[in-house]
Amino acid sequence: MHTTTEALITQSDRPTRRNAPRPRSRRLNSSVLFVVPALVIVGGIIYLGVGYNLWVSALDWDGISEAEFVGLDNYAQVLSEPVFWQSIVNVLIFGVATVVIQMILGLLMAIVLSGPVIGRSVYKVIMFLPVVLAPAAVATAFRQIFSPDGAFNAFLASIGLDGIASAWIADPKTALWVIIVANIWQWTGFSFILYQAAITQIDHDQLEAAQLDGAGRLRTIRSIIVPQLKGTHITLAITGVIGAFKTFDLVWLITGGGPGRSTEFLTTYIYKEAIQQFHTGYASALSIVLLVIAVIFTAIQMRVFRFGKD
Amino acid sequence: MFGKTTAGSRLAHQLIATLVAIPFAAPLVVIVVTSFGGQGAIANYTAVITNTPILRFILNSLLMSAGTVAVVLVCTLLSGYAFSKLNFRGRRLLFNAILGGLILPVVALLVPMFLFVRTFGLFNNFLAVILPLSAVMIPLTLLLTKNYLDGVPDEILEAARIDGASRFSTLLLIVVPLSRPIIAVVVVWAYLNAWNEFLLPLVFLQDPNLQAVTQVPTYFTSTYGSDVPKIFASLVLMSAPIVAVYLSLQSFFERGLTAGAVK
Repeated sequence: MHTTTEALITQSDRPTRRNAPRPRSRRLNSSVLFVVPALVIVGGIIYLGVGYNLWVSALDWDGISEAEFVGLDNYAQVLSEPVFWQSIVNVLIFGVATVVIQMILGLLMAIVLSGPVIGRSVYKVIMFLPVVLAPAAVATAFRQIFSPDGAFNAFLASIGLDGIASAWIADPKTALWVIIVANIWQWTGFSFILYQAAITQIDHDQLEAAQLDGAGRLRTIRSIIVPQLKGTHITLAITGVIGAFKTFDLVWLITGGGPGRSTEFLTTYIYKEAIQQFHTGYASALSIVLLVIAVIFTAIQMRVFRFGKD
Repeated sequence: MFGKTTAGSRLAHQLIATLVAIPFAAPLVVIVVTSFGGQGAIANYTAVITNTPILRFILNSLLMSAGTVAVVLVCTLLSGYAFSKLNFRGRRLLFNAILGGLILPVVALLVPMFLFVRTFGLFNNFLAVILPLSAVMIPLTLLLTKNYLDGVPDEILEAARIDGASRFSTLLLIVVPLSRPIIAVVVVWAYLNAWNEFLLPLVFLQDPNLQAVTQVPTYFTSTYGSDVPKIFASLVLMSAPIVAVYLSLQSFFERGLTAGAVK
């Protein structure tokens, strides 16, 4: 496809180069060819996909046999389905817990490393390395580490806490927290790097003025550094919540949504309904709901940013 | 940044940094150390390499990553150049339309993609992974590239045009060399995401010979049960290529991963 487009572009360009300039409008129109490959791929997959999703979400269909048009029935079913609400609650708990803890740890590390520390780049690599690992690898590791005879229980035993050792993943009360811990481990480095970049932008005169006024270290952090990083806080909070709604690999490979449905996420729910249960129409309605949630959060993000800039 | 640095404050900084870093380093240490346990490092790694198709999976992932990087880069450069430097009707509209794709989680496209792949018989075809992955990446890479190119003065391109260069050769000979930093970010970003992608290969590549590196843990546990040292050895092997690239190109990774969030 690219070769065709490129051929078209070079062809239409050649006369322009050799001859006198052609009428402006014709030259301008052929420029659109440059965006065709991107448009075809993005439009063809994302927009056709969403459109098709909308259509299928109005069908009672298993993906194979005759479909029946049912209007909004699938959506009504989604909203009356306890598993759906359970998955929303799980995503929200996961989202809030991971975002808050990742921000606190990332900010703490960024502030500490902006001071006098030996081996700064080693700390930086330790924090950021998990970010580049495949969630599939991280999930597998944490599944083993938190298994009954895994490294975490062994660690607890070694410091005399065998009493609280547990089958963390098999227990519906703690399974979600294993996923949360894995996510915090993987993504704190992301918050850290963003904060680190933002801290270098802070006005040094203000910091010095505060110190001259006798503000202590903690006071400086609380009254000057933290407020000045407002943009980064907002970015991390919103991308974190959107990321929570997109999380699939970690959940799927650590708990598979279980035990029972106790760690079901919207994404694992969609996967099960679409691929394993052949509830094609219903899964489409779920996907549209997920899309609407993502759009709402993105709209909030854009509004907040515009607001923050004025 | 805090002015005076006393011995006490140095110690405090070092101590806090270490305390925070320990829980982050611990799983890495556990993974590597465990992979050396059981029958021993050499036995574990040899077993993983010889008894499982991990090298095959790595090759498959390399091919899919290369394909994704190529598609994303070509589409991004062509369209980024056009949206930033050329004039045509509907420019804003089309740009915003592509950016709209930023919002979308891949999972939300599972049903249409599944039916599409089935209709066109693309199961067990790398294109079923490469094209959707590219589609969800291009909006971001385009945004970054256009922002970057907006900072390149038009005069440089005008000069090339006056010298008789076509739009395409201007792109190739002037814009591409000037865009090296952003190209590196795009390549790293696309490679990382393609290498780590789990869902699309899971759904569309059923043939055991065609699976991606992210399927290694599942393949291993379903075939060999819970031989933890060997599972961890396979995790080390599947992560080695991306870690190697990260360690040699740290700043590109950090910029690539954060660029999207900053603006």
